[in-house]
Amino acid sequence: MTQPVISINRISKRFGGTRALHEVSFDVMPGELHAICGENGAGKSTLMKILSGVITSYEGELLIDGDVVHFSGTKDAESVGISIIHQELNLVEQLSVAANIFLGRELRNGLFLRDDRAMEAQAADLLESLDCDIPPDHLAGSLRVGDQQLIEIAKALSLNSRILVMDEPTSALTESEVERLYRVIAKLRSQGTTILYISHKMEEVFHLSDRITVLRDGQFIGTRNTKETTPGEITKLMVGRDIESLELGPRSQRGDLVLEVRNLSLEWPGHARGYRLKDISLELYRGEVLGIAGLMGAGRTELLECLFGASTLEPTGEILLEGYPIKPRHPADAKQAGLALVTEDRKRLGIFNTMNVGRNISMCSLRDAAIGPMLNSYQEEQLSESMVEKLRIKTAGLTPPIGALSGGNQQKCIVGRWLLTGPKVLLLDDPTRGVDVGAKAELYRVIRSLCAEGLGVIVTSSELPELLTLSDRIMVLSEGRKTAEFRIEDATQEKIMEAATKSWQSQEIDR
Amino acid sequence: MAQEVRFDQFMSNETTSPLGRLLSSVEFKLIVSWVFVVLVTMLLDTRNTYWNKPADSAELILRQTVLLGFFALGAAIIIISGGIDLSSGSVIAMSATVFGSLMIVLDPEGFKAGHVSTNAVVLSIAGTLLVGAMVGTLHAWLITSVGLPPFVATLATLVGLRSFGRGLTPTITGGKSQIDFSDLGLRESLKDVTSISILFVLFALLLWFLMSRTVTGRHLQAMGGNEQAAKLSGIRTDRLKWLAYVIGAVSASIVGIISFADTGSAKPDIMARGYELNAIAASVIGGCSLQGGVGTISGTILGCLFLRTIIDAVQKIVGTGADVYEGMIVGIVVVVAVTFSQRGSSKIASKKYFSNAIGWSVIPTLGLLTGLSYLLFFGTREWYANYQAFLIGVTVVVALSIRAFLESRPSVNGQT
Repeated sequence: MTQPVISINRISKRFGGTRALHEVSFDVMPGELHAICGENGAGKSTLMKILSGVITSYEGELLIDGDVVHFSGTKDAESVGISIIHQELNLVEQLSVAANIFLGRELRNGLFLRDDRAMEAQAADLLESLDCDIPPDHLAGSLRVGDQQLIEIAKALSLNSRILVMDEPTSALTESEVERLYRVIAKLRSQGTTILYISHKMEEVFHLSDRITVLRDGQFIGTRNTKETTPGEITKLMVGRDIESLELGPRSQRGDLVLEVRNLSLEWPGHARGYRLKDISLELYRGEVLGIAGLMGAGRTELLECLFGASTLEPTGEILLEGYPIKPRHPADAKQAGLALVTEDRKRLGIFNTMNVGRNISMCSLRDAAIGPMLNSYQEEQLSESMVEKLRIKTAGLTPPIGALSGGNQQKCIVGRWLLTGPKVLLLDDPTRGVDVGAKAELYRVIRSLCAEGLGVIVTSSELPELLTLSDRIMVLSEGRKTAEFRIEDATQEKIMEAATKSWQSQEIDR
Repeated sequence: MAQEVRFDQFMSNETTSPLGRLLSSVEFKLIVSWVFVVLVTMLLDTRNTYWNKPADSAELILRQTVLLGFFALGAAIIIISGGIDLSSGSVIAMSATVFGSLMIVLDPEGFKAGHVSTNAVVLSIAGTLLVGAMVGTLHAWLITSVGLPPFVATLATLVGLRSFGRGLTPTITGGKSQIDFSDLGLRESLKDVTSISILFVLFALLLWFLMSRTVTGRHLQAMGGNEQAAKLSGIRTDRLKWLAYVIGAVSASIVGIISFADTGSAKPDIMARGYELNAIAASVIGGCSLQGGVGTISGTILGCLFLRTIIDAVQKIVGTGADVYEGMIVGIVVVVAVTFSQRGSSKIASKKYFSNAIGWSVIPTLGLLTGLSYLLFFGTREWYANYQAFLIGVTVVVALSIRAFLESRPSVNGQT
């Protein structure tokens, strides 16, 4: 039997009172693509941070090629050939592609001065070896997410990495970018690179991997050969129960018209297309989930921002809430009118990291817990507590910091924050992004039950199966225009993808 | 690594028992440090000022604490809400001149005779506070509508408003570069330590109530923690910024009025120069995070008290002319206090400070600083004083070198 390239031997790690990893052991063979699956909080990220030298204090042993190693920084990990592609990319957007690839290891010429030309030439070679035509002198910030990711891969290649850790690499990619990434992965494997691949998406994992290791609650659950297992089994191992058996609750009856949008447009000065959104009309009824599908940049987030008064420019067109026109110019107006928005980027736009769970939940409804200007902390706790119960948020009371909760539970806190405002319409922008399988199902159930209470819900998602599970109707956006609308009975992934990939030129011709 | 540290901070904040939370709070640490400083001063002060004149000593520290406290609280509110105000020193100087000018304009005869009418005094105070509010509004407008970063907006007024005060003074006084406080009776009552202390307590209570008991206070903290999220939560962040900067500028105006009375003259060119940094330092010592969202009123007040006490202590120990060292003391206290409040003392023991190239190259600097400080603070005219200082410097270098050596050992084991 060949020697494993990585051997993880009874590794444990605690953060304060929380156990992130508990005696995890498994091996990775040279040249294989080893997928690591687990819900958020299962310990995948912690393990990868140990492997890449970000976390330096832990119990247990890490063996590379049979030798015990203990990294005291990422440089140590790089020196034995391990590179990590983080989910949130680590690029300096103001520097060129080549400068990013050689950051910290800049090439020098004979006079010990920085040699930009040599770096650009080498960067071009690296990128070419990945079959992609990214100009190495462009600024990293000007590129699409998919291209930025390839820069990180090129950087790893330039370090002669033989072990590549990829943390949810497809989470922000379009279909075609995913295809290209698959080709790059195939190429890397043909060169003998070992890849550790972290993902939630069963489809990907089964398409790519040789073996799958499942972690749950910081513990090693099992490793399976991909050929000998099924997505159902892996999911079951991940959540510790059958996911299929989860009952989402019945679809509720469609009620009165609650929100109507007529010819909503949003300008985009300085862009070739000229608009971010063009002539969007939609209707939303009580008790209904309207799904909005579309690729990155199709205008999903922009549409919700316009409805919520959070767009930088003022949109044109009409928004009618329960038949009355509204013109929200600030989220406060929208909140007042009865709209609620759960934002896409939870860390940046959602949570208050310096505050505890209770205060995060009560943030939007403090006036209800106040007498005049004065806050009644008992009433405030009651409000927060009611949402912890209603949404079954897993937390040790209201006092732990919000950061101590898992992604899914943080998201529930934010949903709870908005439910406390008693909204008529709930806008959810990619609510399950970065949320694990079990918590996703929980969120679906919450959304269903809110509909049953008569709320109108608009959901966007980057995952089509999710929209197909949740929605009663699906509207498709492509490059700022509405290209199709389906009742759930008629919607299929193929039809939606077709409508979502219509380019604006072809739309013009259709007219 | 950064994420790990942040996580550990959460854990240390999460102490659940009320007693544990009290013991780990900035306030408690500051009180303990303050008691320590007072005791050390009692021991080292050769003239035993604290024993002999407790009332005078207390009054002096109280007066200085209150004067710093007013605008440090203003600065703290701005810092907690995610901004920064560099202008307070200039606003103090300008407010003093405006106050003097208003009295001269409203009651020229009375001012000359040394007895300004009550109406004129009340109007002048109101007018000065209004000018403070106008400065705050200007800041808020520059930041929210013009879109300048708070640092730039208040840097502009830091430079600009002092100049404005300097231009105003000769125009009002007919050519003089300072305004003298002629009304001695008024001056006594404005600088009276009891009344300004009571006023300060009321001001602090008001701000404490605002920050910890009102919706607006919570919103200010939320904005400081995550401005985007606050806006998307339907919080009118622009109005909150206006409130924060107005509180900041008005608090500086109050100090301007009191300082005018306290010093007896308004010299806009040198008055309160650099005070804004003392206010920021006091807030930071008191536990405010410059990243925003974190900090308390009580912590800031204790930060002021601690800072002023330690400055006073050095003056007592060193003797006359010690105001020269005020800046040095503030600098050292900020570094030490923030290091300790960011990490527990156990972390300090295990953290590596001198293990890399920067670490060991700073050791001679620290040795030199300690030796020179000793010479400046405690040096006598005896012939051996220089040798003492040299010995102390060398001791520090040796001690830190040992620490550096100890720090570098475990990482040798850790590396493969």
